[in-house]
Parts: sequence; structure tokens; C-alpha cells
Amino acid sequence: MKHSAGLSFIGTFSLTLLAIAGLFAGDTFLAAVDRTENDVQAARLFGEGQALLAKGDNAKAIDRINDAIEIDRNNRDYFRTLAKAQLAAGKTEEAEKTAADLLDSDPIDGQASLLMAQALTREGHYPEAISYFHRAVYGHWDQDQEANRRKARFELIDLLAQRNSKEELLAELLAVQATPQDAKARIQLGDLFLQAGSPARAMDIFRAMLHDPTANAAAYQGMGDSEFAQSNYRAAQRYFETAVRLAPENAAARRRLEVCNQLLELDPMVRGLTAAERFRRSVKLVELTLGEYNECPQTNLTPDLQALVDNANAALTAQVSPVKQGDAAESNLDIAEQLWQARKKAPCKLPADADRPLALVLARLTQ
Amino acid sequence: MIDKIRHSLEKLRHNEDQLTLVLSLVIGALVGLVTVAFILFTGRLAARMYPAGGAGWRRILVPVLGSLSTGYLLYKYFPFARGSGIPQTKAAIFVDDGRILMRTVLGKFFCCSASLASGIALGREGPSVHVGGGLASVVARNMGLSPRQVKALVPAGCAAALAAAFNTPIAAVLFSLEEILGDLHATVLGSVVLSAATSWMVLHLVLGDDPLFHVSGYKLVNPSEFGVYAVLGVVGGLGSVAFVKLLLNLRVWFRTLPKWTVWFQPVAGGLTVGLLGYFVPDVLGVGYNTVDKVLNGNIVIQMVVLLAVLKIIATAVCYASGNAGGIFGPSLFMGAMMGAAVGGVAHAIFPNSTATPGAYALVGMGTAFAGVVRTPLTSVMMIFEITRDYTIIVPLMISNLIAFFISQKLQPEPIYEALEHQDGIHLPSAQSRSDAERTHVYQAMKLAPLVLSPDATVALTLPKVTAGAFDAWPVVSGDGLVGMIKNSQISSAAGNGGGEKHLSEILSLNEELHHNSAEELPHVHPDHSLSLALERMGTSGLNVLPVVSRANVRQLVGVVTLSDILETFGVAKKAGS
Repeated sequence: MKHSAGLSFIGTFSLTLLAIAGLFAGDTFLAAVDRTENDVQAARLFGEGQALLAKGDNAKAIDRINDAIEIDRNNRDYFRTLAKAQLAAGKTEEAEKTAADLLDSDPIDGQASLLMAQALTREGHYPEAISYFHRAVYGHWDQDQEANRRKARFELIDLLAQRNSKEELLAELLAVQATPQDAKARIQLGDLFLQAGSPARAMDIFRAMLHDPTANAAAYQGMGDSEFAQSNYRAAQRYFETAVRLAPENAAARRRLEVCNQLLELDPMVRGLTAAERFRRSVKLVELTLGEYNECPQTNLTPDLQALVDNANAALTAQVSPVKQGDAAESNLDIAEQLWQARKKAPCKLPADADRPLALVLARLTQ
Repeated sequence: MIDKIRHSLEKLRHNEDQLTLVLSLVIGALVGLVTVAFILFTGRLAARMYPAGGAGWRRILVPVLGSLSTGYLLYKYFPFARGSGIPQTKAAIFVDDGRILMRTVLGKFFCCSASLASGIALGREGPSVHVGGGLASVVARNMGLSPRQVKALVPAGCAAALAAAFNTPIAAVLFSLEEILGDLHATVLGSVVLSAATSWMVLHLVLGDDPLFHVSGYKLVNPSEFGVYAVLGVVGGLGSVAFVKLLLNLRVWFRTLPKWTVWFQPVAGGLTVGLLGYFVPDVLGVGYNTVDKVLNGNIVIQMVVLLAVLKIIATAVCYASGNAGGIFGPSLFMGAMMGAAVGGVAHAIFPNSTATPGAYALVGMGTAFAGVVRTPLTSVMMIFEITRDYTIIVPLMISNLIAFFISQKLQPEPIYEALEHQDGIHLPSAQSRSDAERTHVYQAMKLAPLVLSPDATVALTLPKVTAGAFDAWPVVSGDGLVGMIKNSQISSAAGNGGGEKHLSEILSLNEELHHNSAEELPHVHPDHSLSLALERMGTSGLNVLPVVSRANVRQLVGVVTLSDILETFGVAKKAGS
């Protein structure tokens, strides 16, 4: 009896171990089949999601990609595309969460960083967004790493340009200075350098392209803008004239040329002017500043201000002999300058157009 | 070589501690692999029954056919495989010496698999526990182990099954102790832990480290959220009670139907879930994918409310009508939906001071589990294991306890106990055990009317003891209690001419008193239960025991007699009264 109990123990023990081995093999096989079938199904759903996203049906695309993710949670592409779809659907908070989950598991994921930056930009969290753009620029990309990093940097540059963050913009531009090869991109780069407050670097780029027939009109305009930014209005005028000649349909260059022309006609500081011409321009400046002032007269006129307005009116009607025109011009310029300062302090703001000839001339006078 | 192995196994068979250790590991591995097979098999079967892009009518036809076929199999071949499996496992442990038949194990595996794959709105955890416990029972019995050893291994099988089915080994251990055995201090803790850990390891070996639910790192956004979690506790508690009452009442109703209808009664569940699932597919099956979506905030609030209501109805009808499957998973589903609903409303009203609905869905899962299954410790641990995040624990405990108390108040009988009672089985619950332990020695003890000295002679003592009402008396020296002496010992010594003998000679006392154990010096302490006092009276053959201090076992504080104990229980009157 005891012997048979022993046999039953050993037999059952051996059978159990055999069952464990068999079950392990069976389970491993079943798990492999399960994984394969799930992967196929997930890929099908993901494909449908991508197609819907391409069609612009973002809500359905999100649902379909989520279904794929439910089945296969290990595919990071699914999550990245989900974040894209969420961004496209305007669900920035959800996109941010998806990107954050991706970054939790891989903090150097370049694409996830870019998606996070895009979501944060949409939400107006610019400093955080800029930080994530940097992570995207220096992060790891599964495919086409250099191109993707460059793309991320240009998105960052766009944001900095929009935010008018000149120093950061210049730092980013310097990093990509040599990168763009095509003419259009180089023109954009030159424009961005201008926006970043570096007209000299912009000129280097534009100058190199003056002989490129595909882009020389834009390059001349860029040169004009660069000279203009450095207050070299005469030189700017010449570049704008060439740009308009090369591309008569270029309204922007034409407008800039017009500003240049007006400015040069108004500027009393231009070299080689006769005393009479300088006097005439000074009277014109008084007339224009008084006009600006009268656009927004102050209600509580101080005696000094009243005296200044009276002086301006007197200057407009004064008959000045040629001998005294030099001194009168100086006096007029002084009146114009004071009126301009008074106008700046007035409650209503000056028009925002910084390129207005009057503003530019008076800015030069006060320098 | 074979002889050597055989010899080692023989040696193992005779060393109980080593055997328990090895069998815990073996059962853990076996049950883990069977549970993984159950999960995979059910999943593949479900994929065949509901192919991608399948027609809507499948959602009605498949559950109806599934419930019809499994209903017939359960009626004809596997009558013990019906329902969840947890009450059946408990009954096997407490009534049948841990005996669960292999036929029941097979029936549970295949019928549940088919039933769950066809979309019946029940869970896989309860059946897994039954299968796990059953396998442990089958292996242990076939090895020729004693009923005590079989009973000790069944909870290990249950824990192993739950650890693999739900991917939460610690909660599985707690569930096994808290619900299956109803005793958190059970002596089988070691084997239960070993078995659960082995099973969990096997699960990860085969299926990888993918968690059952993918949950973001939810945190308490603002302390005022505790109020919202308290509301969730109330909602979860009321929802749980509604579900339990509906299920129990429906089950009573189904049992009133003629006996010949039993085999197709499950169709009522299949048809209900099919019709609901036709319009709302997420009602079908255990619904963990939907729970996952809700945990990640991917379902709108109206839908989660609808799903909570429909799931309560579908699960109650499916279970009550006799389908194979558990309520563990569905209660988590309902909880997630209720949590997401409460969280959704709170987040809409206070977006800056509340977490997203996913966090509430997560806490809601534990809340409903605490309300339905009534194992608050397991539910807290389970959610902790799912999230692996400590910060969610405090709100979780608040919600769970509120739900637990509401459920206890409105539905005093826990669901598994109520199901057993409907089947005419009355098992010891944790409550009944604590009731038994509620009466203590201090309630029955009194001062010893006579204390004897070891130096007293038999002749002097005999008249005193024969006049007394006790059969034995405490003997106390200057060092304290030295033992109990029976009247019969004193009479016998006197009859044999030993009238001048000292009592110490009869007790054969050593000079040094160092025998302090209950076997050597029968005694009880005032805080001992009366049932223990009775047990010790039986072991020592005394109907009176000395009551001694816990600080000094030699310090006599009183005596307790059999008649005093019986009087305390209200079954006997004092002699002479």
C-alpha cells in the first residue's frame, strides 16, 4: 500500500512536470500566434487611420489609431501618428499627453519632442515649446535623422521669428547658415537674418545670389532691405530700383522703393543739398509733424507747448530771405523735432508703420 | 540516475516542509501556464467569433449560440463548473477537504473560454481561481497527500491563478487569504506567496511585461479632490449594491423556473448581452479594452454612464441565468465607468483642481471591487499594483472604504456568501470566525476558591478538596503556580497510604520551575477565547484551568471552569441554581 502511494506520488510529480513542459511549449506557440495576428490587425487599423488622417478626417483617424494602439502598444509609430492626428484635430492637450507618454519611455525621441513642441506652441507655452524644439533638434530620429533635425530647427526658427526673439533667432540661424542649398531657402535665410537684426550677414547671403538668375530679383530686394536697415537709403534705393526692373510685378519691392524715394526727398541731412532746398525740406518737415500733432492734439496745453505750436505755425508762413535760410532751416528742424517728441507723448499712439519716411527722417534727426 | 531521482522524490514525500515548498513552486508554474493558456485560448477564440469588420448580427447570434452550447455542456457534463468558481472553491476547501474534480477543471476551462469568447459579460478571474484551485487539488490528491495538505495547497493554486489572470501577484495573495480562506493570518501564507510569485513569473516569461491596463501616472491635483473621491465612494457603493441585489434577486427568480429549463436558462444572458451589444458593442465580453480606453480618457461621459448601467444589467442577467464566468472583471469594468462618470463631471466643473476622468476611473475600479467583492485590502493593493504609483493610494482608500461601508450597510451579506447561501451552503466567514473569538476567558473566570501549597500533606488537603466543587486545584508555591492537582490524584494517594505525602511529591515537581508551555503546565490567559479554553481542557483532561498573567505565567489571576464557560455561552446553569 505504501509502495503504491509512493508510485502515485512519483508518477503524478513526473506527469505534472511533463505537463508544465508541454504547456510551456503550447503557451509559447499560442502567444506567438496571438502576437502575429494582433500585429496584423493593428497594422491594418493603423493603415486605415493614416488614410483617414491624409483625408483630413481627423476624428475618425484618432479612433482608428487608438484601436490599433489598444492591440499593439509597443509600436511607437502608432503613438506618434496619434499625436499628429490629435494636433490636426486641435486636441492639443491630448497630443501633449501622448507625446509626454512617448517621452517618458524615451526622453531623446526626436519626433515626440517635436510633437510636444508643436502642441505647446499651439497652447502658447512658448518657453517650454522652444525647449522641446531644441530636444527635437538634438534628439534621436528613427529615419532620415539629419533632414528631420533640420526641419525641426527651421520650425523653431519660424517660431522665434514670429516671437521676434532676435538673439535666439540669430543663434539658430548661425547654426543653419550654410545648410540651405536652394535659392528660395537661402533668400528666406537672408530675410531671417535681417529679422534677427543682422543685416550684414543677410547682405553676405544676398550678395552671393545677385548673379543667380532664378533669384536675383529677390536678392536685390534683400540687398535693398539690408542697406535700408543700416540707414543707407541711397544704396537701398538703387537695389530696389534694380529689383523692380527685374521683377516689375514685385509689389513689395516697389513699395520699398517708394518709401526710399519719399525719404530721400524729405531728408534734410542728405549731402549736397543747397541752403534753399534744405530750408524747403525743413518747412515740409514742420508741416508734416504739425499735421501729425494735430491728428492728436493735447487737451491741456502747457504754455511751452502752446508756444511750440505757435512757432510751428509761424514757421510755415514766414517769409525768409535767402541769407537767413540756413539759420531758419536749423530752427525749423528743431521745431519739427520737438513737435515730434510732443506727438509721441500724446495719448493716441502713432501709426505702427515703422518704415514711414517721416518717422525715419525724424529718427535720424534725433540721433 | 532514475533511481537517484526516485530516491530524492521519496525523501521529499516524507518531508512535509520541503514538499510544501516544492509543490508550491510546481503548482504555481502549472497553474500560471494553464491560466496563460486560458487567456490566449479565449482571446483567439474571440477573434474567430468576432472577425474584424464582422457584421452586426454576429453580436446577437454569437452570444446566444455560445450560451446555448455552454449551457448544455454545463448542465449535462460539468454541473460544478457553472458560475464564478469562487464560492465553489471555498465550498471545496471548507466542505470537501479541498476536493475539486478534474472534470470540473476541464469543464470550467473550456466552457468559460467559449462563454467569454462569445461575448458573455462575465470575467475570467473567478473561473481562473476555480481552475487553479482545482489543479492544485487534483495534483495533491493524486500524489496521495492527506486532506489537510490538499486543503493547504488549494489556496496556493487560487493565488497562482489570480496572479496570472490579473497580473497582480500581491493582490492575488491577499485575495486568496482575505476572500478564499477568510483569514489574513492563515498558516498557508508562505505557499500562497511562493505559488503566486512563480505563476506571475511564468506569465511574464510567456506574455512579456505588458501590463493588463496601461495607466498614466495619475496624481492628486488638489487636496479638495478628496471630496470628489468621497463622492465616488458613495456612487461606487450604491452602484455595487444595485448590482449585487439585482444579480441575487434574478438568480432567485431563475431558480424558481422548472428544472428542465436549467440547460437553456443561460440563453437569457446570451440574448440580453447580444441585444445590448448590438447597439453598444462595448458591453460584450469582459471589456478590458474599453476599461483601458476609459483609463486613458478616450470615452465621452455619456457613453461611460450608459456602459455602467448596461454592464450592471448584462452581467447580472448573464451570471444569474447560469453562464460560466465571474464577476471580478465586470465589477472592475463597472467601477471604471462609474469613476469616469464622476471624474468627468468633476473635471468639467473644476478643470483646474481635479485630475482627468482617467484617474477617477482607476480609483473607481477599486471602489466597485471593494463594494461588490468586499475585500477592501485586496482592492487597494490591486490598484496599487496596476498603477505602481503610491500617490493614488490615499484617495483610493477613501473611496474604497466609503463604498465598502455603504455596501455593508445596504447589503449585509457579501455576494459570494449570499451565492453560497442560495445554494444551501453555509461556510465560515471572516465575520463568523470573529464572532466565535468574541467571548474571552476574562468573561467567565473567577478567583480560585482554594489554592493549595506544594508542601501541604495529602491528609490535610483531602477533606478540603472533596468539599469543593472543582475536580482539580491550583497548587501555588512561593514562586507562583506550579501546577494543577486533580481530586482523583489526592484520593488515590490517600487510599494508597500516602496521607503524609506532600502534594509536590504527587506532582513530581522538580526543584526548578521551567516548564511553562501549555502542554506542560495547562493554563489560559484572560484574553484567550473561551473556545481555546475548551480546547485546552480537552487536551489536558481538566475541567478547570488556571488563568495566569501574560507577564508571568506563574502568576495565578483566577480559574475558569467548564460550567462557567457553558454558562457564559448560555447553555448551562450553575450547579445548584
